[in-house]
Parts: sequence; structure tokens; C-alpha cells
Amino acid sequence: MDVLESPPEARPAVVTGGPRRRRRGSGRLTPYLLSLPTLVVLAGLLAFPLVRMTMLSFQRLTLRDLFTGAAPQWAGFANYTTVLSDGFFWTVVLRTIVVAAICVAVSVLAGLLIALLMHRVSGWVRLAMMVAMMLVWALPQLVATQVFTWLVDTDWGVLNWMLDKLPGVDFSNHSWFVDPVQGWGVIIALVVWGAVPFLAISLYAGLSQVPKELVEAATVDGAGAWQTLRRIKLPILSPLIVVVTTLSVIWDMGLFTQVYIARASKPELDYYSLAVYAYQEAFARSNYSGGSAIAILTVLLVLGVMAFYVRQMFRIGEAD
Amino acid sequence: MVRRRSATLAWNAIGLAFALVMVFPVYWMLATAFKPANEVQTFTPQLVPLHPTLDNFRSVWHAPNFLVDLENSLIITLTSVAIGVVVGFLGALAIARFRFYGRRAIILVILMVQMIPFTALLIPLYLTLNRVQLTNTLPGVILTYLILVLPYTVWMLRGFIVNVPRELDEAAMVDGCTRLQTFYKVILPLTAPGLVAAAIYGFIQTWNEFIIINTLNGASKWNLMAFLAANQTLRGTTWGPLMAGATLTSLPVVIFFLIIQRNVALGLTAGAVKG
Repeated sequence: MDVLESPPEARPAVVTGGPRRRRRGSGRLTPYLLSLPTLVVLAGLLAFPLVRMTMLSFQRLTLRDLFTGAAPQWAGFANYTTVLSDGFFWTVVLRTIVVAAICVAVSVLAGLLIALLMHRVSGWVRLAMMVAMMLVWALPQLVATQVFTWLVDTDWGVLNWMLDKLPGVDFSNHSWFVDPVQGWGVIIALVVWGAVPFLAISLYAGLSQVPKELVEAATVDGAGAWQTLRRIKLPILSPLIVVVTTLSVIWDMGLFTQVYIARASKPELDYYSLAVYAYQEAFARSNYSGGSAIAILTVLLVLGVMAFYVRQMFRIGEAD
Repeated sequence: MVRRRSATLAWNAIGLAFALVMVFPVYWMLATAFKPANEVQTFTPQLVPLHPTLDNFRSVWHAPNFLVDLENSLIITLTSVAIGVVVGFLGALAIARFRFYGRRAIILVILMVQMIPFTALLIPLYLTLNRVQLTNTLPGVILTYLILVLPYTVWMLRGFIVNVPRELDEAAMVDGCTRLQTFYKVILPLTAPGLVAAAIYGFIQTWNEFIIINTLNGASKWNLMAFLAANQTLRGTTWGPLMAGATLTSLPVVIFFLIIQRNVALGLTAGAVKG
């Protein structure tokens, strides 16, 4: 099945052969000259800040140092021990992981079900679903969050009004963010709503690649809908599912905008995700060193997942 | 067959219900934006604006800072996208057309950078820009936004350049083109759609950004997203004008997104389906 993996012959001969060196001297420098601006940007905006942040996490930068420009004092592992021995940090770690896990599981599953559904409906319904999802996908995250906050508004929110219509339920003036569990419920709904279009549309495209003959042959052999799904469609789809799941994990572990904006730029402690925690520590409490330590721990936490995704994508970059 | 048809009918109903649920928040934003103030805050929400008005749009248009922030948004996005696409095209050329020492490292970094949550990078960036007195300036933000634009641009353009057959380069060089001439006479025109797609994607990324600019700059040097964020409070937000502002701010992004959505989906998952 070359749908599954890139077959070895897809790797062009160029990789092994190397470039034919046409013009010696000047030609050799060309790739370096071409990539120089990119390298400068990456060095200045990525490498340097990363090094600086790592250093910072081992220093104690005070506001005074910030204004005088004096070199901050080295603090060894002090920032890390402070953070790691703080029960609140672990609460936030656990919360971030649980929220991300729910978001990823629900959105990938929903995306898969919607993709399957799109193959069952009539053409015009599929179009309607596509248009709806495109609109949602295109909407800026910040705007989407504000719209959701408005939907669940305590006094005039349309959600409270709808739920209130249910018999025996009183949701008038219900405040969704007082109880963090409900508040996170709203945030998770928002994340899933925003993620489903990408997932469903990608998986729909992937499902369309499943050869019809295979499905037909299975049906002739007496396989039911569930069996064709489990034994044929899902195995063929699995590389794509892995990639979109990995991406979702990375995105949802870095959850920031939805929380920060849903709490109107002033998130309470109950609404800290790791990204929010690092940001607030640095910019709301001017604890730049502590914030850096948290940020680095966050990156380390997702590094394994990132490495996996990068390896998958790297193969493509190498192949052609 | 009757059973089959009724099954399709049921699936259609579920599909439509899903579409409605998905689109409802977007609809509610628009509906709120066009309602007069007294219809926004009602105990029984009106599903359709009965007396559509442009009042909310007028009020947000004349709100302090809206026009300034609109101008800032345009200056920042256009400049950083222009720089990012030029730099990115050159970088993509190098990666797609040459095998050289350090190529793998560049690809690796470009893929990595899209993963790192940039709120993490914000701390050192803020401190550095503060040191060189580029905080509270537009150039400081434009510079920082290159990290949002460049990696994806290089990655996307690489894909387009790889698809231009090498034989074309070679034919042009046989006909007397220098290497440089093949770049702008052969590859550049053939990757034009890619350049447009990359530019639009960069536009969306930078237009939507709010936390970097919010952190680096004061209120007079914000963009429209930071403007929207600042106009929301925990209690007592005026939702009519805010939803009108949100509609106006989203409009260019939504239009552009619909143009390039195919490329975005492919860029993120490329190769996972077909080898």
C-alpha cells in the first residue's frame, strides 16, 4: 500500500547522487547566501531567545536589573526548586494535561465521526457542513473566544436562556465561570469546536483516498459497515490520525488564548494552564526568571510529542 | 432500497444539525452586531435582529484607538509579511534546490519553531527588545512577527519549488541563463501561487496575533486584536459594539482564509496520506 508510507523509490536519486557541481567556487556559496537571511532571523528570534531564556531560568532577574540593565545574579537551580516544590505548579501541570487529554480525545473522535458522516450524507448537506466548518476554522481564536464568552454571558447569554427553557431547569443568571469545572467545560467546548473543522476536513480527505475496490471487495466478502471501518478504513487512515493527533496534543498542551480571553485577560488561579502560568508569572508578577523556568518545563513536557511530529515531517523534507 | 433512502435521510438530518450547531456562534456574532442596544440585552434573546442597524459598527468605528489600531494592524502585517516572504523565498530556494552542509539543521529548526509556544519565547524577547528600546514601537513588533511568518513560508514555498522540474532550470541554463536568472525567470513565476498562499497565511497569522503586541506595546501602539481584547471586561462588556468590532476584524481574515484553506490543510499534514 503506497498510501501508507512513502515507498523507497519515491526518494529521488538526487539525495544519493548529490548536486552536480556545475560552477565551482561561486556556485558553492549560493545556498549559504540564499539561506543567510533566514538563518539571521532564526538565530535572532529563536536561538538567541531560547539561550537567553535558559540562562534566565538559572538567574534571579529583579525589576531593578531590568531598569538599570545590570547583569542579574546567578541563582543555580533555585527557580526550578521553587517551582517544582510548589504544589500549585503540579496542580497546573495536572490540570493542563487533563484538559489537553479531554480536548484531544473528544476533538479527534468527533473529527473522525464527522468525516465518516460526510461520506454518508447527500452532496448538498456535505456542502453545508463544509461551509459551516470553514467559517469556524477561519474565525480568529480571540474572536471565537469572545463570541463564546458572550454566548455563556451570565445576564444576557443565549445559552442560559436556551437551557432555562428545559423543563425543571433554572439557568437564569447562571454564572458559568464561578465553578472552575463548568468554566473549563466551556473552554473545552470552545477548543473542540475550533479544532473539529481542521480534523474533520483532513480526515475526510484521508478517507476519500481509501480505494473503493477494497471496500467493495470486503462488502462482497460479507463484511459489515463496522468491520470495513475497523479492518480497512482505520488502518489506512492511521498515519494521518497519528499526525493530526500529535498536532492536537501540541496545540492543546500550549492552550493560552482561549483561557486568557475567556477570563478577560485577568485569569484567576483556577484558570491557569501552564502557558498562562508562565505568562502571568513573568508579566503580571514581573518574575521573569520564575516564568522562564515554568516555560522551559512546559517545553520539556511536550518535547517528546514534538520530536515525534518533527520526525514525521522531517522525512518529507528529506525525501524531495 | 427504501431502507437505504430513509437511512440517508437520517444521516442528512444529523449532518444538518451539526452544521447548524457549528455555525451558530458565528451567526450569533453577526446577529448581535446588527442589533440595536436594547435588543442585545433582553431576557428573551431575539434570534433574528428585528430592527437591523449599523449603530454598533458606527460606535466601534469611532471608538478611541480603533482607527489607530486598524492602521497599526495594516502597517505591521503588510511589512512583516513582505519581509517574511522575500526572506522565506530565498531560504526555500536554498533548501529545495541545493544539498549543502547545514540544510538538515535548517529544516529541523523550521519545523521545531512552529511547535514552540511563542508565549514562552516572549519573556526573553521582551527583555531584549526592552534593552534596545524597541518596546512600544511598531518596528519591534514587525521584527518579532517574522518568527510567525517565516518558518511556515519557507516550508510552504519549499513544497512549491520542489514541484518545479529541475529540467526547466537546466534548460534555461543551457539557453544561457545564469543561476540567478533561473531563479527569477523560471522558478519565481512558477511558484507565484505559492507566494500568494504564503503571504496570505502570514497575513492571517500576524493579523490574529494579540499577546505579543499586548505585552510589548502600550495601548497607542496596539493592533485590532489587542483592541478587541482590551474592550472585554469580566462584567459589563458592551457586547453589541464588541461583536461589531469582532466582525470587522475577522472579515479580512475569513475571506483570505477561504482562498487558501486547501494549502493550509495540506501544509500541516502533507505526506501523511500520500507518500
